[in-house]
Amino acid sequence: MRQVPPLWGFPRPDGSVGVRNFVAIVAAADAVNPVARRIASLVKGTVPIYTAFGRGMKGEDGERHVRTRAGLAKNPNVAAALVVGLEPKSAQEIANLVAATGKPVEWIAVETIGGSHNATTEGARIALQMVITASRIQREPSAISDLIVGVECGGSDGTSGIASNPATGQVADWLVEAGGTVILSERTEIIGGEEILARNAASAKVAEEIRAVVTRTQEHARQHGIELTNLVPDNIEGGLSTQEEKALGAILKGGTTPLQEIVGSAEQPSKKGLVFMDAHSPGTENITALAGGGAQIIIFSTGLGNPIACPIAPTIKVSGNPNTVVELCDNIDVDVSAIIKGEKSIAQSAEVLYAEFLQVANGGMTRSEVLGDEEVAISGYCHS
Amino acid sequence: MYKALILNEADNVATAITSLERNEVVVLTAGKDRVELKVRDPIPFGHKFAIRDIADGGFVVKYGHNIGAATSCIETGQHVHIHNLKTLRGVDS
Repeated sequence: MRQVPPLWGFPRPDGSVGVRNFVAIVAAADAVNPVARRIASLVKGTVPIYTAFGRGMKGEDGERHVRTRAGLAKNPNVAAALVVGLEPKSAQEIANLVAATGKPVEWIAVETIGGSHNATTEGARIALQMVITASRIQREPSAISDLIVGVECGGSDGTSGIASNPATGQVADWLVEAGGTVILSERTEIIGGEEILARNAASAKVAEEIRAVVTRTQEHARQHGIELTNLVPDNIEGGLSTQEEKALGAILKGGTTPLQEIVGSAEQPSKKGLVFMDAHSPGTENITALAGGGAQIIIFSTGLGNPIACPIAPTIKVSGNPNTVVELCDNIDVDVSAIIKGEKSIAQSAEVLYAEFLQVANGGMTRSEVLGDEEVAISGYCHS
Repeated sequence: MYKALILNEADNVATAITSLERNEVVVLTAGKDRVELKVRDPIPFGHKFAIRDIADGGFVVKYGHNIGAATSCIETGQHVHIHNLKTLRGVDS
């Protein structure tokens, strides 16, 4: 077993542990995004959680929106949450889900509180007290087994499958070995790699489920006349030619431990070890889903560079492209280009990534946190 | 420093880890074997070239797995990319 330096995290009432201590101001629908942002701008220590849509959504889309908004507030990195609704019912629905964690949560509704000014004033007062209370919570000793770590890739190129994804996969293996949970996701990006994941499944049922994720995704694309396997322009520029090639590189970031479970978008894993989340693939949507499912930290592997991060889950950018680590040096936290240059092995570079990961878990800021390159996006119905 | 990498012994393509000029000679290792070959096209950084002749319709293999099918004959040393390699997992495939 690898030696891990002491970890310190914020204890939550449900036994989970945060690596950050945010107060979340959650907009229940886009109609009140400006109010949520205004409240957050008035109270230091708060993070606004807002995105497009959310009003009057139906079926699978509506369920995903509510689950994700609530999931972000339930995330252990959030100490307390204020839900801002247009009307009471949608705000209460999210607040009730968050309340199940035992953390402080309150809601206000713009329609019943007397408009934007009253909502802002009352919301800011509630948030102020939440921040004061949250700031008294001290970090306590914690362990890797307290962590859910999302692994993501974006801006992939010909180096991703050689350097940053295998290095991330090595860290994923170390985290699982130490009792942690790692979530691999991006449903379209396993098309062409699903048999490898199935062979690596902990049970025949899990193997069947991972194959079903791909079958469902491809069937949905056929029904809608969508070609899912078209790569984005920077992938092609970077040397990737087909979906299969992209997938075989992408799945390396999950590591080599048995796949234990498949969960839906923004659903929390029930098992430790390697888990697959059946969620939309584009970066911003996927990191939102990962954090909505409880990931406290995201390792974001990139070839050509992608700046985006989740506002409540510190997002560590790792690249093995020797050009990117120079040209996008403001954005890249960990340089593993020594693999491409032949100067370090994958395991040696993974040590550098793991050291940075442990720093971030203990409070060290990521570049995207400092830059503020953070966004929330909840996907629509299309299985992209 | 190598100029290109073969990721699996079963592969019929290598990945350039520096930009290669037409007719540049690269040294590659595959398992215990060490081979030299001349690339026939300019190969941008991160792109692939054939290390064996690949027939029209033949599988292109990287990471030891099929990553698609050749859409024309590809000769050893030629650039392998979207102009001569097609997914086998598309809607029409």
